[in-house]
This record gives sequence, structure tokens and C-alpha cells, in this order.
Amino acid sequence: MSNQKKRNFQIEAFKHRVVVDPKYAEKTWNILEHAIHEIYNHNASGLSFEELYRNAYNMVLHKFGDKLYSGLVTTMTLHLKEISKSIEAAQGGLFLEELNRKWNDHNKALQMIRDILMYMDRTYIPSTHKTPVHELGLNLWRDNIIRCNKIQTRLLNTLLELVQRERTGEVINRGLMRNIIKMLMDLGSSVYQEDFEKPFLEVSAEFYRGESQAFIECCDCGEYLKKAERRLNEEMERVTHYLDAKSEEKITNVVEKEMIANHMLRLVHMENSGLVNMLLDDKYEDLGRMYNLFRRVPNGLLTIREVMTSHLRETGKQLVSDPERLKDPVEFVQRLLDEKDKYDNIISSAFNNDKTFQNALNSSFEYFINLNPRSPEFISLFVDDKLRKGLKGVTEEDVETILDKVMMLFRYLQEKDVFEKYYKQHLAKRLLSGKTVSDDAERSLIVKLKTECGYQFTSKLEGMFTDMKTSQDTMQGFYASHPELGDSRTLVVQVLTTGSWPTQPSVTCNLPAEMSVLCEKFRSYYLGTHTGRRLSWQTNMGTADIKASFGKGQKHELNVSTYQMCVLMLFNNSDRLSYKEIEQATDIPAPDLKRCLQSMACVKGKNVLRKEPMSKDIGEDDAFFVNDKFTSKFYKVKIGTVVAQKESEPEKQETRQRVEEDRKPQIEAAVVRIMKSRRVLDHNNVIAEVTKQLQSRFLANPTVIKKRIESLIERDFLERDNVDRKLYRYLA
Amino acid sequence: MRRCVSRKTGQTNSTEATDLFRSASSKASSKEMERTDNLFYSYANKSSGLIDPEGIESLCSDLEVNHTDVRILMLAWKMKAEKQGYFTLEEWRRGLKGLRVDTINKLKKALPELEKEVRRPSNFAEFYSYGFRYCLTEEKQKSVDIESVCELLDLVLGSQFRAQVDYLIEYLKVQTDYKVINLDQWMGFYRFCNEISFPDFSNYDPNLAWPLILDNFVEWMKEKQT
Repeated sequence: MSNQKKRNFQIEAFKHRVVVDPKYAEKTWNILEHAIHEIYNHNASGLSFEELYRNAYNMVLHKFGDKLYSGLVTTMTLHLKEISKSIEAAQGGLFLEELNRKWNDHNKALQMIRDILMYMDRTYIPSTHKTPVHELGLNLWRDNIIRCNKIQTRLLNTLLELVQRERTGEVINRGLMRNIIKMLMDLGSSVYQEDFEKPFLEVSAEFYRGESQAFIECCDCGEYLKKAERRLNEEMERVTHYLDAKSEEKITNVVEKEMIANHMLRLVHMENSGLVNMLLDDKYEDLGRMYNLFRRVPNGLLTIREVMTSHLRETGKQLVSDPERLKDPVEFVQRLLDEKDKYDNIISSAFNNDKTFQNALNSSFEYFINLNPRSPEFISLFVDDKLRKGLKGVTEEDVETILDKVMMLFRYLQEKDVFEKYYKQHLAKRLLSGKTVSDDAERSLIVKLKTECGYQFTSKLEGMFTDMKTSQDTMQGFYASHPELGDSRTLVVQVLTTGSWPTQPSVTCNLPAEMSVLCEKFRSYYLGTHTGRRLSWQTNMGTADIKASFGKGQKHELNVSTYQMCVLMLFNNSDRLSYKEIEQATDIPAPDLKRCLQSMACVKGKNVLRKEPMSKDIGEDDAFFVNDKFTSKFYKVKIGTVVAQKESEPEKQETRQRVEEDRKPQIEAAVVRIMKSRRVLDHNNVIAEVTKQLQSRFLANPTVIKKRIESLIERDFLERDNVDRKLYRYLA
Repeated sequence: MRRCVSRKTGQTNSTEATDLFRSASSKASSKEMERTDNLFYSYANKSSGLIDPEGIESLCSDLEVNHTDVRILMLAWKMKAEKQGYFTLEEWRRGLKGLRVDTINKLKKALPELEKEVRRPSNFAEFYSYGFRYCLTEEKQKSVDIESVCELLDLVLGSQFRAQVDYLIEYLKVQTDYKVINLDQWMGFYRFCNEISFPDFSNYDPNLAWPLILDNFVEWMKEKQT
């Protein structure tokens, strides 16, 4: 049963035998050829699309595709040769128009032919790997028209001439241009590039080479840049109007190279109008233009930056080393701030706030500010001046702005510890003489310093403020516990914590009896409330107000220093005192005494004492009298002490030495810290890490670090490795 | 029987002989020791029991060398003498035993051999640093004054690095930054003479960890050369 076989059925195709007329192909092609002629002759309206399509279809179907295709090529070529002749014949300006018109015709014809031959396009062409009809039409156009001997060069020259005419300011038919260029692009990007773009770029390069040469000979830098910018814009505009968008980069490159890159150095250094002059004259517009143009070429911005940096360094160097400037620290710092403002403005308005330019600016400032070792002192003096008087009647925001700017300069300082030293001195003077204008401003600056350098940096400065506050409370307590002293506070004491204040170990002078009684009272009060402390009087830092009456019964209140008070009080008991007597009675150190006598006897308007013999300086044999003829239109007279605002040479060296001494333990601590964590480290890395750790306070000198390392080796904190002598080992 | 006896005797003899030999050798060494000690006491100060500077002086004259001769320092090194100008008995024994000598004549003859031993590179660095430590006479003293350093330098390195030593000494005497030299700097000098091409300093890199004093020396030399 299962053996029964399955049978396969086959269905044969129905064979339709067509007897073909042997002349069929010839006949059909003749019809089609005629149609093509008609199409090129603008006579297509009488043709039947359906009939032609069917004919072409049948030819392909009956394996006459070859004949159809080759016939098409021949016919089209024939027509194109004719078209070529008519284009060649076109005169002058009509040439492009004729070309354009014929191109449009050809396109239309091609469209129709393709439609008729669509079947061939779909079946015959893919199977025989021939060129599709539309592409074929374009190729034939390219070979017979565009690359025809008589047209090719003429076309190129015409196009280039038009561009050239446009460059010289003439108006050209941009629409026509656009169409022709479009045609070249339609024929394939290689045609556009080979037949137009390449020569166009070459000619442009030559043109701009010549033009830039002419410009640079006769224009100044700003003018030249304007012209270059205009040319660049023109070229970009040209691209948008009638060139391939891809050409923009190429043509702008040409302009950039010829007009900018090739003349960059000459432009930047152009006499009287180059970059330096622009910077000097704040020519934001020109600078901005230079920035934008130079940015386009390799190393352009680098060139600007380098010239700016070297100019900045040079002027900065002059600024900080000009001996005239050094006479007035406030002016010195103001000039630095002005310079910084100037360049900040330039960078923000002309250089697009470029980070690299800001960095260059910062590094230049850092470079020249630190050229002058007195910069930290001067910056502190500037702040001192501002906080003493400069900020009167200035709004809070303005105060902040000024302080922020000062902080910016502070950031450039490598020797921040030196600044701290001076700042402490100046702050102490301000606080003790009650000269600070604004407590808020003072504190604001401390906060800024703290955020910049950390707690350690400002802790002592803050301690000074705390002392001032505590002293107020102490004084209140003192007078409350001594009601017999009455309300008038004859003695005001500020108790300063040792270490927080820049006190010099000073010899206490002999105070007048009236004073020393009070001082004793205070001492016993203070030590009674604070056990285990020691008080020493800093008589060199105090001030006193004393009432004095002169010859004609004139009364004045004199504001003097403690030393001056001690001297003046002596005259309550005698009319004439010799220098020696004064020195003996007061015990004031000689240089201080001389200065204090000088300020009371030799300064006009403040001369409450009279000296014999009259002279400007104090001699050891001089004698002093109360100046009965002293007059002043003010009731209160402030007698200053002749002091140099800036430090004297020995003082300066002393401060310097103190700073150096203070650095030693800091460097050693850093070395030990580093070595303790790393155990073994080579010399260069130790130097690098120490420098890094300390740079927020000062720039550690490698030689000094080395010295400290050697000292640590000597004291057995470190040792050198036995084999690799560059290595240090930490000895636990 | 006799034979037997004789053999016995022989046996006895042989044991006796070894004993004899042993006692002889120990006698010899004790004799040697005695001679060494005697030699020591002939130079030692009676009251302190040490060879003091005076004793060293007469030792030198017996050895026919100057007391500032480097060989005396080498001898001290061999003895591992701790205190400059003094030899203890222990040190003396150590030194003479090491040199295998027990008379002044043998000692004198051993000196050239000692010098050869010291000049061997493996020993020289130790000797060099010993020379510095030998100059530390006070407790906790860690550095030696410039003048002594110059003399010592001349003594220990003079024959090997004449030019370097001359310039170094000249520099040490004119500079004012350092009044004393510590061990680290001292070892630096030796390393410098050994490693650095002189007088062009072509392989001297101040960024390496040379002691600062050598940086300064090289700078001084370069200034001099221009």
C-alpha cells in the first residue's frame, strides 16, 4: 500500500511564437531617432510618448538593446556637436548665455529621452553595465561641449575674468554665473574641481599675493587688516552666491595664507601702527580685527600673544624698576592696577576673553611684579593708604572692588610671607593709632587673605583684632573697679598678645610719675584678673593727648607720642633742659629721642619746643626750652613723629632677614613631611614637592631647600642612599 | 718487648710532641703578644697607660716617618683607633696582629703593604670616611673646621687627585659661607673627585644632589676659568 508513488506534475510555459519582421529593428529605430531629432528641435509636441515608449520597449524586448543604445549615443553626439558649434559662434558676453541656454535645452531633451527609454534604463543598462541615459547625456555634454577644445579654455577664462571683474568692483550677472557653476557641479565634482576650482584658487592666490604686497607697502597695520577682512568677507559672500559651498574653506585658506600668514610678522611689528601701538592706544577695534583674522592662520594667535607678552613684560619691568615710581608706593601700585585694568579691557573687548591670553597676562604680571623685591611691601602700603584715608566717602561696593583688585596683585606675589610681615606691621600701626577708616573693610580683606592662603596665614592678623576688642572690655572693667579715677579715661591700655603683633623688644622709658602711678594700678588690676601673665609696656607705640598753655595764655591740646609726652612733661618742672638731661630723665633710646625732639623743635607749625642752637638736626649738646611763641590756629595740634613711611635700609634688611629665618623651619617641615610619607625620594622630586607645598606662601629657592636638606642630613633626619646618591632616605 | 715499649714510648713521644708543639705555638703567640705589649709599653705613657701624642711622636721617629704622614693615619685606621693622638693597648694589639708584626722593624717593613691595602678601592672609601671621623675629637662633634679639613684632604686625597685637592683647598680658604665641614660634605668631596671630569666639569649637574658647597666650588672654578 505504501509503495504507491507520488507523481510530479510539470506545467510548461505557453510558448508564443512571434514572427519578427527582419527589418523590424531598423524601422523601429528610425522612428525613435526621428523622435530624438524632433526633441532637440523643440518639436516634441507632436510626438506620442506612449508609442515611442512601446517601440523602445519592444526593441529591448527583442534583443535590440545594443542597437538602441549605440544609436542613442550616435544621435546625441551628433546633436551636441551642432550645439557646440553654435556655442562657439556666440560672441563675447553672449557666450555664457548661449552655453546656459543650450545646457537647459539639453537637460530638457535629456529628460524626455530618458522617459522614452525608461525600459532600457531599467533592464538593458544594468544587465550590460552601461552608463544610464541621464548620466550618459551629461558625460556626452562634458566631452563634446565643456571639454571641447574651443570651449574649455574660453569658458574658464570667461569665468575667471568675471570673478576678477567682480573683485575690482564691477557688477556681474551673478545668476548666470551661478547657473554655469551649477552646470559644472552637475557634471560631477571632478569637473567642477578640475575645470574651475583649481585654476580659480591659483589665480586667486596670485591676485591676493600681488594685492597684499601692494597694500602692505602703502597701508598701516589697521588699514591693512580692514582690507584683508573685507576681502575675506567678499570671498565668503562669493561662495554663498555662486560657488560650491565646499569651496569656502579653500578660498578663505588662500586669502588667509596670502594676506595674513605671509605678512603676519611684518604686520605685527609694523612701525607706528603694529600690535604694540594698538595696545598702547587701546585700539580695541583694530585689536579685535587682528585677533579674528590671525585666529584663522596657524600660529597667528601665538604670534599676537608673544608680542603682547614681551611688550607687557618690558613695560612692566620699566614700571617696577623706575626709581621715580619707587618713591611713591601708592602711585606704584596704582599704576600696576591701571595696567592690569587696561589689559583686562583689551582681552575682554578685543580678544574674546581668550583664556590663553589671560594666562599670558597673568604670567607676565607675575614675572615683573616679582622683579622688584619691594612689591609685597608696596602692595601692603597701598592697602594701608586706602584703609587709612583713601576709602572715605566711597561706597561699600567700590571698596570691595578695590580690595579685590589688590588681592589680584597679591596673587601674583611669590613672596606672600613678606607681604604678611609688612601687612602685620602696617595693620598694627593702623589699629593702635585708631586710624582705620572702616572695620568692615579691614575684616573683608582679612577674609580674602584667608580664602586665598588659609587659616594659618591670617590667624595672627585676626588675633590682633581680637586683642583690640578684648582691650576695650578690659578697660571698662578697670575703670569700673576704680571708681575714684572718675569718668575721664586718663589711661587707655591695649593689651597685645605677644607673637600676634610685630612688637620689637623695646626698652621701657621712664614714664612721668603721674603716669606710672596709673600704670601700676592697671598692672595690678590686670594681673589680678589674669593670673600667670606678664605685662611689659611698649612705650614706643603709644600716644598721648596733653593740655598745654603757652606764652600769651594760649591753650592747646597736643596729640603726641608717648615718648614726646615724657619729654614735654619734664618741662613742667624746668624751663631749660639739655639733651643729656632729657636723655637721662626719660631713658628713651637715643635714635628715638632724637627723632622725637626733632619733630617737636624743628618742624614749622609744630615747634612747641625751642632749641639752641637753631638747626635742623639734634645734637648731643643742644638745649631745649618751651617755645612761648608757639601759635597755631587749631586748638588741637597733632605733633607727628618724623618717620619714614617706607622702611629705612637697615630696617629693610632686618625684615628680609627675619623673613628668611622664618622660612627655614617651614622648608624643613615641608621636607620632613614629604620624606616621612615617601620614605625614599630623589633630589629633584624633593625640590619640586617642597616648592609646590610652599608656593602659597613664598617661592622657595632651590639652593635654600638644598641647604635645609643638608642640614637635615647632618641632624640625622635624612641620609643619602649609598648607591644612588640622588636619593634621600628618611630616617625614622 | 722492647719494640713494644719503644713503640709505646714512641706513642708517648708523639703525644708529648703534639703537646709540646701546642704549647710551643701558644708560647710563640704569647711570646708574640708579649713582644707586642712590650712594644706598646715602650711608647705608652706610664700614668695613663695609653700611647699619647708624645708616644706617637717617638713611634714615628722610630719608624722614620713624619707624624703627619698619611701612613700614620693608615696605621690608626688599621688599629681602628678611636681617639685622635692616642692608641689604647687593645687598638695596638688589633693593629699589629692584623699586620702580623711584633717588632718595630717588622712594623716599619709592613707599612708599604699597609698602604697598598688601604689604596684598594674596597677599603679606601672606608679609610676616607675614617679619616674624617678620626678628626672628631669632642663628644657630639659632627663637623671639622676648614683648616683641619684642608690638611686632611691634602693628606688622604693629595697623591691621587692633586689638581682637584689644590683647587678645593684654595676655594675652601677663600669662601666665607662655611666655617666647618660635615661628614656629608666630606664624602661629597671624595665622590666629586672620583666621578667628575676635571677641570671641565662636563658631567657635573648642579641639579643632582651634590652638597651645595660643591655647587659653589664649581661656580667659583668656572668663574676663574673665564
